[in-house]
Amino acid sequence: MNRQEEFVLRSIEERDVRFVRLWFTDVLGTLKSVAISPAELETAFAEGIGFDGSAIEGFARVYEADMLAKPDPATFQMLPWRTEGPGTARMFCDLLNTDGTPSVADPRYVLQRALTKAADLGFTFYTHPEIEFFLFEQGRKPGDKPVPIDQGGYFDHLPQGHAHDFRRAAITMLESMGISVEFSHHEAAPGQNEIDLRYADALTMADNIMTFRTVIKEVAYEHGVFASFMPKPLMEYPGSGMHTHLSLFEGDTNVFYEPGARYQISKTGRAFIAGLLRHAAEITAITNQWVNSYKRLWGGGEAPAFVSWGHNNSSAMVRIPMYKPSKGQATRVEVRTLDTACNPYLAFAVLLAAGLKGIEEGYELPDEAEDDVWSLTDGERRALGIDALPTSLHEAVTVMERSDLVAETLGEHVFDYFLRNKRQEWVDYRTQVTPFELERLLPRL
Amino acid sequence: MPNPRTSTAHAALARLGFHDPARAERFLRDPCLAGLALEGEDVVVGGLAQALGAVADPDLALLALVRLMEGLQRSSGSHLSALTDALARPGVARDRLLAVMGASTALADHLAAHPEHWSSAADARRLSDRELTAVLVDAVTGRETAAALDALRVAYRRELIGIAALDLTAPSPVDALPDTARSLADLAAAALEAAWVIGRAEVGPDADSVRLSVIGMGKCGGRELNYVSDVDVIFVCEPVGHPGDADGPTDAAGDVDGDAEARAMTVGTHWASAIMRACATATAEGTLWPVDAALRPEGKQGPLVRTVRSHKSYYERWAKTWEFQALLKARHVAGDRELSERYLDEITPMVWQASARENFVEDVQAMRRRVEQHVPAREAERQLKLGPGGLRDVEFSVQLLQLVHGRSDDSLRSRTTLDALAALADGGYIGREDAAVLDEAYRFLRAMEHRIQLHRLRRTHLVPTSDDELRRLGRSMGLTSEPDKAIVEQWQRRAREVRSLHQRLFYRPLLSAVARLGADELRLTPAAAEERLAALGFRDPKGALRHIEALTDGVSRTAAIQRTLLPVMLGWFASGADPDAGLLAFRKVSDELGTVPWYLKMLRDEGDAAERLAHVLSSSRFAAQLLERSPTSAQILGLPGGLRRRTRDQLDATMAAALARYDSPAEAFEAVRTVRRQELFRVIVMDVVDLLDLEEVGHALTDIAASTIGAALQLATRAVETELGEPLGTALMVVGMGRLGGGEMSYASDADVMLVHDPGPSSDGDSEHDPRPDDAELQRRASLVVQELRRLLAISGPEPALGLDVDLRPEGKNGPLVRSLDSYRSYYERWAATWERQALVRAAPVAGDPDLAAAFVALIDPLRYPADGLTSHELRDIRRLKARMESERLPRGADRRTHLKLGTGGLSDVEWTVQVLQLQHAHEVPGLRTTSTLPALRAACEAGLVTTEQAQELTAAWSMASAIRDAGMVWRGRAMESVPSDLRDADGVGRLIGRAPGEGQAMVDAYLRSARHARAVVDELFYGDTPR
Repeated sequence: MNRQEEFVLRSIEERDVRFVRLWFTDVLGTLKSVAISPAELETAFAEGIGFDGSAIEGFARVYEADMLAKPDPATFQMLPWRTEGPGTARMFCDLLNTDGTPSVADPRYVLQRALTKAADLGFTFYTHPEIEFFLFEQGRKPGDKPVPIDQGGYFDHLPQGHAHDFRRAAITMLESMGISVEFSHHEAAPGQNEIDLRYADALTMADNIMTFRTVIKEVAYEHGVFASFMPKPLMEYPGSGMHTHLSLFEGDTNVFYEPGARYQISKTGRAFIAGLLRHAAEITAITNQWVNSYKRLWGGGEAPAFVSWGHNNSSAMVRIPMYKPSKGQATRVEVRTLDTACNPYLAFAVLLAAGLKGIEEGYELPDEAEDDVWSLTDGERRALGIDALPTSLHEAVTVMERSDLVAETLGEHVFDYFLRNKRQEWVDYRTQVTPFELERLLPRL
Repeated sequence: MPNPRTSTAHAALARLGFHDPARAERFLRDPCLAGLALEGEDVVVGGLAQALGAVADPDLALLALVRLMEGLQRSSGSHLSALTDALARPGVARDRLLAVMGASTALADHLAAHPEHWSSAADARRLSDRELTAVLVDAVTGRETAAALDALRVAYRRELIGIAALDLTAPSPVDALPDTARSLADLAAAALEAAWVIGRAEVGPDADSVRLSVIGMGKCGGRELNYVSDVDVIFVCEPVGHPGDADGPTDAAGDVDGDAEARAMTVGTHWASAIMRACATATAEGTLWPVDAALRPEGKQGPLVRTVRSHKSYYERWAKTWEFQALLKARHVAGDRELSERYLDEITPMVWQASARENFVEDVQAMRRRVEQHVPAREAERQLKLGPGGLRDVEFSVQLLQLVHGRSDDSLRSRTTLDALAALADGGYIGREDAAVLDEAYRFLRAMEHRIQLHRLRRTHLVPTSDDELRRLGRSMGLTSEPDKAIVEQWQRRAREVRSLHQRLFYRPLLSAVARLGADELRLTPAAAEERLAALGFRDPKGALRHIEALTDGVSRTAAIQRTLLPVMLGWFASGADPDAGLLAFRKVSDELGTVPWYLKMLRDEGDAAERLAHVLSSSRFAAQLLERSPTSAQILGLPGGLRRRTRDQLDATMAAALARYDSPAEAFEAVRTVRRQELFRVIVMDVVDLLDLEEVGHALTDIAASTIGAALQLATRAVETELGEPLGTALMVVGMGRLGGGEMSYASDADVMLVHDPGPSSDGDSEHDPRPDDAELQRRASLVVQELRRLLAISGPEPALGLDVDLRPEGKNGPLVRSLDSYRSYYERWAATWERQALVRAAPVAGDPDLAAAFVALIDPLRYPADGLTSHELRDIRRLKARMESERLPRGADRRTHLKLGTGGLSDVEWTVQVLQLQHAHEVPGLRTTSTLPALRAACEAGLVTTEQAQELTAAWSMASAIRDAGMVWRGRAMESVPSDLRDADGVGRLIGRAPGEGQAMVDAYLRSARHARAVVDELFYGDTPR
C-alpha cells in the first residue's frame, strides 16, 4: 500500500464516502463506471476489481480471462453533483489482464504507451483543449429537431441568460473537482458555449475531458436543460469542435520555441507540424470518429477541411497562435480538426504519434497557407499542393486501414476493433432514408 | 670473467625468489643497505634479503626500498635512521613495509614521493571509522580548495598504505578479507566526509541554509568495499529549519516552503557536485575514485539532491524492484547524520516490503538474466565479477534471498554480503555446509580481486594472464610452491563451487524443507519454502513442494540420486515457461522410470540430458504427454546421436523391423506406433532446444507421417494377401496432398492423401492364359487394402492419431477411395476442375510403388503446370472459391484476424497466392515446380513474379503462423488454431518461437501486424487489387 492509496483510504473514512465509482473508457470514448463499496477498495488497489470485459465496446475477445480495473489513486475525487447524493467519489482505472499486465484494449494504456515513447525521446506532451458544446431544451424525443436554449451569438452576454448561470455552475463544479478552467464564453451558434481548460499533461487532460463531459451533462440536468457534444447538431449553424493546443517539453524547456525563428517555432516544432499534416488523413477517423463529424468538418465556415497550416489563419487545419513576447514557454500549435465527441485518449495518442514521426524522420514543413483555404478553387488548391481531408467516415476509415502509424499507435487489437466498428456505423448510416430525400425527392419522384 | 663470490650470492638470491638476482645483488650492496642483507657472500640469516623473499614480488619491493631510502636521504635524517633500524631487525614493521612495496607499484610510487609515510606501513594499526574520518577531515580543514584536494589525496593514500600493510601481512588473506573490506569502506566514507567539508567551503555562506548528507550505497554502503571501485552514493538535502516530515498537498505553508526548498536544492546540488569533484578530480596527487550517484531516483536524469519527502514519494510511486534491492545497502556515510537517519527510517521499511510488490517475480527473473549476461566473450574466462558464478552473482543471489525472507525475518537484514550469508545459514534458509563453501569461495575470490587491484590501484576484475603477474598474485595469496600454477588452480576450484551457487542457495534448501531431519538440524520451514518457490516463479508452491517431497522421500538409492539431481533441475524448471508443469511431468516420468537403471544414470552422467529434459518438460505439455505414455523415449536424450534428425530411410528401416517382429497385424501396427511416438518426441526435443528450424521440423514431421503410412500400407497389403492366399496383382501407391505433399506437416496436421493402384501393362496376346484377375477384381482388392489401411490408422490409441483425409480425390466424397492410374488419367482428361488442378500443385508420392509414383507424376505435371497458365475464367473460379471459403469455412466463434489457417493474412491466404503463381507460371519457370510453399515463393521472387518486399511479407506471415501452430501444439499438447488468446499460452508459445519471457502479448501484436501486411499483398497478387 503506497502513500497515495493510504491517503485515499483515509479520505474515504473522513468524508464518509459510501460509494466509490471506478471509471474507465471504452474504445469509442464512452465513460464506463463500476461502483464498489469502500470496503472493497483495498483489494481494488492491491489486485484490481475483476469484471467481464466482453460486454463493453472494444474489450471483448482480447484475452479469454476477465479483466481487472485497478484504480489510479492520483485521480481520486469526490463527485459534487446532486444526483449522486452525498458521499460518492470516483477514480480513473487502468485496465489489466488477470496476470497484471496492462490490457491492450484500454484506451488509457494506448495513450500511456504513446507518452512512454515520447518520454523515451525526452519529451513530455501537454494539451489544452477548447471544448464547444450545445445546450438544448429538455424533453425532446430522439429524432426531433433540437431547440437551443437561447439565440445568443459569439461572446454575447445575455441578461438573465440561462447559459450564463449554467457556465458559472459548471465552472464551479469543474474547479471543485480540480479541473482548472481558463476561459469560457458563448459561442457563435444559438445555445452554443465554449469552455477552455487550462493546459495539462495529455493523460491528465484526457481524464479531465472525460470528467468534463460528465460534469456538463450533470449540470445541464440540474438546470433543466440538455447538453450535447454532438459535432454538428444544427445544419444551419457551425458545429462543436475541440480545437486543441499541443506543446512538447524537454524538462522545463518548450522545444517548440526558438527565439528569432519564424513565428518563434523551432525546427523540432516545424517537424512536428509536418508530421501532423503528412499523417492528417490517416488519423482523421480517430480525431473525427462519427458519421456526424464529417458534417462539421465539411460544413464550411471555419471548419478545417484541408491539410494546411497557417499563422492566425482560421481556415487552416493547424494554426500557430499569435506569439506573445516573453511567453516562449507558451509556444504551441493548435490542431483544429478534433471534435468534442472523440475518444480523447486515442485522439491525443495519434496526434502525438504523427508529430513524433515528423520529428524522428525530420519531415520538412510545406509552405504556409496564407489565404482562406475555403475560398480557393480546387485548381488553386491543387497547384498549392493542399490536399483535402476525408469527406466521410467511410473515406477516413479506408485511409486509416492502410496506416501502420495508426496500427502501431493503437495496437493491433484496438486498431482492428475500431475499424470494424466504424465500417459497421457507415453501413448502418448508408441505409438511412434521410429528411433530405423525403423533402426533395419524395414530392417529385 | 665470472666471479665465484658473486655467483654464490647470486644463487642464494635466486633461491629466495628474486627474478633478477644480479640486479638484486647490486641493490643490496648499495651503501644504504650495507650489511642488512648480505655479509660477504652469505645471506644474513633473518636479514633483509630473506624478508624480501617472503613478499609477493621481491624485485619490486627491493627497487621500491632503494627509491624510498634515496628519498629519505634527501630529507631529514631521523626517518632514515629509524627505517634502517627497522630493516635491520626481523619483525612486523619490516614485514609490513616490504609487503606493501612488493604488492603494489602504485603505493611504492606514493612512498617514493612521500618517503616519510613509510611509518604508516611499519606502524600500521586498524583505525576505527571515527579515527579515519578525523584524520582526513583534519587534513583538509582550513585549506584552499586546490590545496585541500591535494591534501585529501595524500592523506587518503597514507591511510590506504596502513590498510594494505595489515591486509598483506595477515596470516590468511581469506580470514582478513572482511576487516580489510570494512576499513576500505570506512576510509571511503572518511574521504566523503572530508569532501563534504571541502564542498561546504566551496559553496560558501549559502551552505548554512541547507543540510546535506551522503548515503553510501553498493559496497560502500555494505562496508565491503574494494581497493578501487566507483563509490555509489545518494545525496539527501533539506533547507535548514525545514519542517521535514510535514507532508501532503494540504499543507497550507506548502508554497512558502516550496520556494525555500527550491533554493535549498540549488545550493545542495552545487554542494553535492563539489563533493563528487573533490573525490574524482585528477590533481598533481592523482585522483581517489569516481563518485557515482546514478542509483538515485530517476537515475542520471533525476535531480542530484532531493529531500527526504521527495525520495520517499518517488519510492512510493515509481520505484522498480531493483531500486529496493539497491537500497538494501543504504547507510549514512558522510554529512548530516540526523538527516541520513531520518531518510533511512523512512526508506528502509519499504525495502523489506519489496517482495510483496506486484511483478516482483518477473522483475527478479529479468534482473537475474541481466546479471548473467553482458560478459564480453574474450573476458569471460578471466572474469571475477561478472557472468554466472561471478562475485556479482553471489551478491545478487544473497540479496534476493534477503528480500524474499527478510520480509518476515529481521535477522536477515544485514547490509554486508558475508554477514547476510551467515544469517541465512543460521536461520536455516541455506544449508550450513553450502554456506561455508560459498563463504570461503567468496572471500577467496574477493581477496584475489583485492590483490589484483592493489598492484596498480586500477579498477579491474580480470585475472591477469602473464606468468609474472600470476606468480606475484599467487605469492601475495600466500602460495609458495609454483605460485603461478597454484593460484589458477585454486581460483578455478572456487569458481566451480560458485557456479553451483543457485542450487546451493535457492534449491537445495527446498529439499530440507520436506526432508526428515533430526530435530536439532536447521531447516527451511515449509512457509519459507513456499515463499521462495513463489519468488522463483512456481505458481503452485504447495504442489511443487509435494512433488519435491515425493521425489526425494525415503532411503532408496533412487531417492538419494534424486536428492542430488533435483536442486539443479529445479533451477532449470524455474527458468522454463511453466515450472509447475515441468516438475509435475518430471515426477510422473520418474515414478515410471525410477527403478530403471539407465534413467537416473543418464540424468546424472550424460552432460546435457537432464537440462534438456527439464527444459522440454517445462516448455511442452505435448512432450510430457508422449513421455508419460512411452517413458522409455527419454532414452534418446542420453544416446549418442540421439538428437540427430533421422532420414526417411532410417525411419522406414526401423518401422520395417518393427513390423517384422510381429505376426498379428494389431501387434505389428502397435509397434509402428511406438516408433512414431518416439520419433515425435525426438522432433519435439530438437525443436524445443533449437536444433531444428521451421522448415526442418516440417520435413521431419512429414517423414514420420509418410513412413507410418508406408508401414501401414505394407501391413494392410500383407493382411489382404493373407486372406486371398495369393499376391494382390496390382501395385499400390499413396500420394501426399496439402501439407503432407508439401513436406510442411505440423504437429497436428492430418494427412491429406489420394490412393492409386496399377496392375501394370498386361502381357500382350496371351490374355486367355494371363493369370491376372480382371480389372474389377483388382479394383476390389485395392479397395480392401485401402479399407484396411484406414482401419489401422484410425485405431484410437494413446498418442495423437494420424488422420487420413481423402477428400481431395476425384469426385470428392462421392468418388471411390482408390482408383487405377488409367482411371485417374481418363478422369483428369475429361473432368479435371480448376480446384483439382490447384490441389495437384501440392501432390507428391509419399509411399508405395516407386514406378507407379513416377507414372503418376508424369500424368499430373501437364495438369498442374499448364503451358498457357490459367484462363481468366479459371482464375475467377479460384478467386471466387477462396472468397466463399473465407466467409464459410471459418469455424464458429473463431476470429478472422487471429485464425492461423483461414484468417486474414493466414496460411491459406499465402498458400493460395503462391499456388496461383505456380499454376500460371510453373510451365516457364522450373523453380516453381515444387510442392513446398517457401521454395516456390523464393523461385517466384527470383523470377521477378513478386517483388522482394512482397515475398518477404508473405514469407514472414506464413512462417510465423506455421511456427505458432507448431509451438501451440508443443506447448499445450492440443492443436492451436488461432493466435493464443490466453496470456500464459501466449508466453509459452512466444518463448518457443524465440521470444523473451513475458513477450507473449508482443508476439500476438507482431503476428497481427505481419498478417495484416501479408493480406495487403494477397489482395494485390491474388485478388488483383490495385497496389496501395
